[in-house]
Amino acid sequence: MSPQPQAAVGAPLSRVDGRLKVTGQAQYAAEFDVEGAVHAVVVDSSIGRGRITGIDTGAAEAQPGVLTVIHHRNAPKLPYRDNSGSNNPPGRRLRVFQDDRVLFHGQPVAVVVATTLEAAQHGASLVKVRYDAEQPSTDLHEAKPDKPTNYARGDAEAGLRSAAVRLDLTYQLARNHHNPMEPHATIARWDGNKLTVWDKTQWVMGTHDELAAVFDLPAGSVRVINPFVGGGFGSGLRCWPHTVVAALAARVTGRPVKLVLSRRQMYLGTGFRPSYEYRVRLGSDRRGRLSAAIHDIDAETSSYETFTEAVMGAGQMTYSMPNVSQAYRTVPLDVNTPIWMRGPGFASASFAIESAMDELADRLGIDPIELRRRNEPSEDESNNLPFSTRRLRECYTVGAREFGWQRRSSRPRSRREGDLLIGMGMATGVYDCGRFPAEARARLDADGTAVVEAATSDMGPGTYTSQTQVAADALGLTMRTVTFRLGDSLYPPTSPHGGSATMASVGSAVVDACNQVRQQAIKLAVEDRESPLHGVDAADVVVRGGRLHVQGNPARGESYRSLLARNDRTHLEARGQYAGAPSPARRSYFAYNATFAEIAVDATLGLVRVRRMLGVYDAGRIISPKLAESQAFGGIVGGIGTALLEHTVTDHRDGRIVNANLADYLVAVNADVPEVRAIYLDGEDNDGNLLGVKGLGEVVQVGVAAAIGNAVFNATGRRVRELPITAEALV
Amino acid sequence: MHPFTYTRVSDTREALNAGRGGGRYIAGGTTLVDLMRETVEQPETLVDISGLPLREITVAEHGALRIGALVRMAEAAAHPKVRVLYPVISEALELSASAQLRNMATIGGNIMQRTRCTYFRDVTADCNKREPGSGCAALHGFNRSHAILGTSDHCVSTHPSDVAVAFAALEARVHLLGPDGERQVPFADFLLRPGSTPDREQALRRGELITAVEIPALPRPLKSGYLKVRDRQSYEFALTSAAVALHVRGGVIREARIAAGGVGTVPWKLPEVEQQLIGERPSESLWASAAAKAADGARALQHNRFKVELLKRTVERQLRIVGGTK
Repeated sequence: MSPQPQAAVGAPLSRVDGRLKVTGQAQYAAEFDVEGAVHAVVVDSSIGRGRITGIDTGAAEAQPGVLTVIHHRNAPKLPYRDNSGSNNPPGRRLRVFQDDRVLFHGQPVAVVVATTLEAAQHGASLVKVRYDAEQPSTDLHEAKPDKPTNYARGDAEAGLRSAAVRLDLTYQLARNHHNPMEPHATIARWDGNKLTVWDKTQWVMGTHDELAAVFDLPAGSVRVINPFVGGGFGSGLRCWPHTVVAALAARVTGRPVKLVLSRRQMYLGTGFRPSYEYRVRLGSDRRGRLSAAIHDIDAETSSYETFTEAVMGAGQMTYSMPNVSQAYRTVPLDVNTPIWMRGPGFASASFAIESAMDELADRLGIDPIELRRRNEPSEDESNNLPFSTRRLRECYTVGAREFGWQRRSSRPRSRREGDLLIGMGMATGVYDCGRFPAEARARLDADGTAVVEAATSDMGPGTYTSQTQVAADALGLTMRTVTFRLGDSLYPPTSPHGGSATMASVGSAVVDACNQVRQQAIKLAVEDRESPLHGVDAADVVVRGGRLHVQGNPARGESYRSLLARNDRTHLEARGQYAGAPSPARRSYFAYNATFAEIAVDATLGLVRVRRMLGVYDAGRIISPKLAESQAFGGIVGGIGTALLEHTVTDHRDGRIVNANLADYLVAVNADVPEVRAIYLDGEDNDGNLLGVKGLGEVVQVGVAAAIGNAVFNATGRRVRELPITAEALV
Repeated sequence: MHPFTYTRVSDTREALNAGRGGGRYIAGGTTLVDLMRETVEQPETLVDISGLPLREITVAEHGALRIGALVRMAEAAAHPKVRVLYPVISEALELSASAQLRNMATIGGNIMQRTRCTYFRDVTADCNKREPGSGCAALHGFNRSHAILGTSDHCVSTHPSDVAVAFAALEARVHLLGPDGERQVPFADFLLRPGSTPDREQALRRGELITAVEIPALPRPLKSGYLKVRDRQSYEFALTSAAVALHVRGGVIREARIAAGGVGTVPWKLPEVEQQLIGERPSESLWASAAAKAADGARALQHNRFKVELLKRTVERQLRIVGGTK
């Protein structure tokens, strides 16, 4: 096969859907105009645990416009077939309106369906629910953990005992919520026994499978549509109970039903980044060479599902050491189930590990970057595999140079500007980028345009744009003549849009499909006596701007249009595939970063203000530099939130979330985001994908909170081991 | 949201008639509509007063400033006379809310705004302010943002306004118009401490309408300013704040007007701090010794103990910013 010229890939293009978005034409889940749709509003439990003893729906039902109120006493029994797919964690998933149990504060206990949104909202406020309340358990530190998941190499206890320098540090991480701008929303419509939903999701296939399981529908009976997602950060990786509620309400009323969660409800039923207590013990020699680490990790999960994430990975492969032991314990609480949130597992682990490395550097009087260099492994010590690519040393070098790291004083509290103490910090980030099976379909039409489809999603990273770039180059077309479609379960199936897997996975399937179509065209041409390319070796033909020609001789060739017209072809089509990560793995495949922060602390008033941030990334080949830069900015902003602001607060007396709104749950605003810079190292990683990519949307948030925390220490001499870092810790 | 009727009035007499009949006045609506959506507020009748002629800012010859009740926060903040005469007011306004909200919200509505206590705003929680006698969930709940001054066992919520702190410091007067005519109430008497009746928040009689807030003339030159301490740098309510105005002549402080926000159930005037300053010469040590009085009488809760120290430091910092050290 001849190598295709690269024109779109690597170009800093603007989003192909940008115009649709800024002119309001992009249709999000709740915006589809489904004829006859009525409105549903969920009633949430006002206790944290117990039983429902009575429901009075009379006042609600008496309201004009209210069609029905559905709850556990009148809802049809739903099959809830087992479904270990769809990102359902092990356990027994929440079954809406199937019994009288209340498992957490804010659980859906009823739904009001009405002809107008206002009537449904008013009706929901009139439903009176009586409970037999029990004391919920919602405090990570008070509850009993599950049995641990363990990892060990060497003898960590012995390694620690014999170490010249030992640290024993415990870090607390607050629960974070995703808070995408677009609320979760579903429109559900039944046509006989067929169900169509327009649903905010990062995985139409997962929602498809879950709805088929809940309602016990045969394959092909459910269609899930979601062309645009207004942010996700992971909250759309599962099919949540409210989606089932909408489908159930549509079935009961015989009308299409629209259900949009309120901002408050976004904190109750669409997952969150779990809170953690992470104890890490490090042993090293006096030169900073690590000998042992012991990680004790407690994380919250719900009482009904055991949610886990990749919080153990970073501790196994970031730094070289012979002895590691880890115990990861989930702690079941009377809360709803967590879900992955940007940089899942790794972002949380990195706060503990990267803060601990900074503490060790300070103890030993070694520069934090030098300490990391001294512990850089030559292979992945968790599985003895070589790294596909691992360019952390370059990240450190470039980062230190570009950030001006040499201006950092190793002595805390030594740089002052008026009332402000200035500090610099850095951290390392790693992320285990996913590669999952995916399919795609490409069709080249007689007019020389192409359509490429896959059931993936674009929660914001720019999948539409980057996949169009990939397809355009593989087909030899311009960006304008290629349309990429996603967000429909009728398209070729893909795995979830998450885990930084989409470009490696869906992109590889897209390349495969487009390569096949291009090869079909080339074959058609070289075998066609009337083609100027007749008789040319197919391997010598390239396509550029929709024109096939001999490599090195652009004059000899013809366009797709003339080729297809002459051969009476309406189109050429192919289905591409990507099988997923190589199995068994031959290489250790991770994305990396070095993240730098400069902050100012008003130590008198306890205020931390970020001044500058820099991320240097080893993320393989960059398909779309402009989008990649936006991703880095977004990850850093998210990390600033985790470090300084974000904290979902639960009142342990009754399990209530007390700050379930955007006034009291603080996300970073523009004023909190200073100068931010992203540098992606040039290069590629060809381990098991056709594009040389590693994925970048997750790794950009990993390490950010630690870099900021380390800068706070450098500025003030005060080590804050609890996130977020707020005034009370510094006053 | 519960159903309600809406009427728009075009003169004050019409407004008072509607108000006497139980109607709730609405102007910018930035607080009231929010709370109606959460069903915290359930008015049966809304009386839209935004068409009334109460949108003027006037300066009397002796230097008193009168801000009409319907002047938008953004208008007041940008007004040249306000900026020159009382920077503390324009700064407090500019540090409030967001640009969009400041364009809608009015001065009268601002001082009427209700607390941000999350238990008050969650209708499934106990709250004596929303439902007298139900209890105070914040007293032993999550109370990081709550008050340390002026609290009672019935309510510990803060008054959220920034500009009200400036008004309290400057000893403003609230002009009211009611069925029985006009009257004026000192700002200190207008907003009520919770005591055993936290549902009563203002010294307003039934149907009374705020027509203006008047800042009395103060001796010149007057330096003033507002400092707001908060977790994020924009669009957040104060953890602590300080409004300071000082008249210094001949190197001696002759007048001081100081109040704190984010710490009291009402904007918290600090007369003891003011007293410490009068007749003294500005100095770092004076600021520190005066500010040390700022939290006298504070009663901290489980999560807001840090506010006691933070309040003193906030006042000290702002005394230095406004008063300098020379």
